[in-house]
Amino acid sequence: MSAGPYGALLDAVRGVRWPAARRVGGATLGAHPSRLGGNSSEFSEFRPYRQGDDPRRVDWRLLARSDRAYVRLTTNRATFRTSMIVDASASMAFPQPALDKWRLARELAVGLAAVAHSEADPVGLAIAGANQPTLAPRARRSVLLEMMRALDATTPSGSTPLAPLVASARASRIVVITDLLGDAADVVSAAALRVASQNEVIVVHIIATEELHPPAGALLAVDPEAPTMRRMLDGSVRASYQDAFTRWMDETAAAIRGVGIRYVRAVTDEATPHLVRRIAGESARRGA
Amino acid sequence: MTFLAPWAMAIAGLAAAGVVALHLVARQRPAAYLLPTARFIPDQRTLVSRVATRPRDLLLLALRVSLLLFAGAAFARPVLSPTRGTVARIVLLDRSRSVANAADALARARTLSEGSAVGTVIAFDTSATVLTGDSWDSLAAARRSESHGSLAAALVAARRVSASLAQRADSIQLHLVSALAAAEFDDAIDSARSAWPGFVHVDRVALRPDSSSGWRLDRALAVSDQLGPAMASVRSASGARVTRLVRGAPDGSDRAFARAGGTVVRWDTSAAPRLATEGLAMGDDVIVAALGRRVLGLTGRVVARWADGTRAAVEQAVGEGCMREVGIMLPAAGDLALHPPFQRIARALLTPCGIATTDVVADSGVMARLAGTGRSAAPASAFRIGSDQPTPLARWLLAAAIVCAIAELIVRARHALEPT
Repeated sequence: MSAGPYGALLDAVRGVRWPAARRVGGATLGAHPSRLGGNSSEFSEFRPYRQGDDPRRVDWRLLARSDRAYVRLTTNRATFRTSMIVDASASMAFPQPALDKWRLARELAVGLAAVAHSEADPVGLAIAGANQPTLAPRARRSVLLEMMRALDATTPSGSTPLAPLVASARASRIVVITDLLGDAADVVSAAALRVASQNEVIVVHIIATEELHPPAGALLAVDPEAPTMRRMLDGSVRASYQDAFTRWMDETAAAIRGVGIRYVRAVTDEATPHLVRRIAGESARRGA
Repeated sequence: MTFLAPWAMAIAGLAAAGVVALHLVARQRPAAYLLPTARFIPDQRTLVSRVATRPRDLLLLALRVSLLLFAGAAFARPVLSPTRGTVARIVLLDRSRSVANAADALARARTLSEGSAVGTVIAFDTSATVLTGDSWDSLAAARRSESHGSLAAALVAARRVSASLAQRADSIQLHLVSALAAAEFDDAIDSARSAWPGFVHVDRVALRPDSSSGWRLDRALAVSDQLGPAMASVRSASGARVTRLVRGAPDGSDRAFARAGGTVVRWDTSAAPRLATEGLAMGDDVIVAALGRRVLGLTGRVVARWADGTRAAVEQAVGEGCMREVGIMLPAAGDLALHPPFQRIARALLTPCGIATTDVVADSGVMARLAGTGRSAAPASAFRIGSDQPTPLARWLLAAAIVCAIAELIVRARHALEPT
């Protein structure tokens, strides 16, 4: 497999573990603790027998020695279907011409997918762009390469909504990589439903440093997704802009967290491997 | 190319400079910058004012400046091939009886006329005639007029001719070749002179000398008379245009003589009791000699004055003739009577009233008023009539200005449609 420009990233995130935040419900043998009981050979503990327990799990030898019925508990592990939903709207093509937001979104998708795939989790991809290429979660080895190709072949444009992709994703862990400048409210609503369904949803908020600190001097700011919106940005309104933008970010983060969705803010000047570790590590802490 | 109304071009130039300045300080829309978070910027004006080092919208600027300059040039009445000379010259040639040497006056007029590429000659006596180029020879051969000249008529003719010369010249000089006899200045001279806006260059020729053929003394003077040498060429006879010289107060017969059309001159030439050095002026003739004054009893027109301005001789019309009193006392001995200036004054004082002014030069004040002050040449614009006719070039320039205006509208509309 040729990782191309992602080779360094994949090397940097090798060994990173990304456990599920809670027990998963899958039956396929994997790396994440399953909430389903099973016949695994990995002994965990004994528990007194309660009516309704499977008699096959009673430890008959212990019953013979102690005349008390105990059930033998084991730890089951399962895979965790993970899907990356990447925002490829026109607002992600910023700043020109480096497109740092889109670069960071692609690298995060690949990096997180690689981490998940390293634990045998099926990973998939959905790009909210003009062609909306979608890869269903797969555990096969070539899935990462397919994701890279799909991402590299995409140029951010238009303003495709993300919410339908979030609602229809066939995965238990959904990572939404977006700048939240599109249908953010719908995304939060759809994600809240997924969280209520015992799915794990992580919203990675992509922010460019140029959005936090626009270039000096007077400029006519044009919204790439709404070209009719033109606002004069100069020294007199710069502070007001930064206040409004910061307030919106905080309010959005609070709203997302308020419905049980993980919110991760990713600024383009932060190294992608570090971001991957931060996202995966925080999940690990939550899981612990 | 020259402009007949350069002020319009100057105004257009100023307006064009203003347009350039406006393009430098115009409210400009800054460069567009794609910013996904533009929605968080407070909505306010999208234009800023600033002074640029180079004007923006060069095409628009060029069209606007061209529009103004074309329009200014059109209204400035351009002339592609000017045919005007720099200075035209009008020569007024006196052909009246006052001129002593008509050939000399003609030669002077010809010299003046040939000194200018554009000009004309107006010969005048009682009326004025504009000469054509081939009139010189016939004019030299023609007899001189025996009428008095009229400078007013000449000036009016010059004013009339100047209207056509003004189309070919920037300014017009007026030269007057005349003897400037007093008789040539009539009552219309002041109004005619005021119609000419420039200076009048006076080239004075000799006044026709007094002629004895025109008048007579009623009796011959004695050789010993103090006025005898001066009046030697004047014959004595009776009849019309006769002057009677009397010593002492005139009597009834003298008055009757004057009423009948004669001229009675009282001139007491007896030796003055006390002589003093006096200045005496009459016309252009001035003498300074030992003379005596006598108080004049007659009132009327002053014909000669002492140097201090007091009256030396006066005349008064009486019936068909006139009475004249001379208060100049002559020395009993001396050569004063032999001096030509005195002789001219004496003859002028004895000339009959009807013809006395014919051969008297106008005084210096009148001549100064005739010459006037101000610019050497009158501006041609003062004579142009109906000069607001548009030239063909002006129409083309106006069309170019209209084309520029239309192009400016189109370019401006395109700029408005383009996203910035």
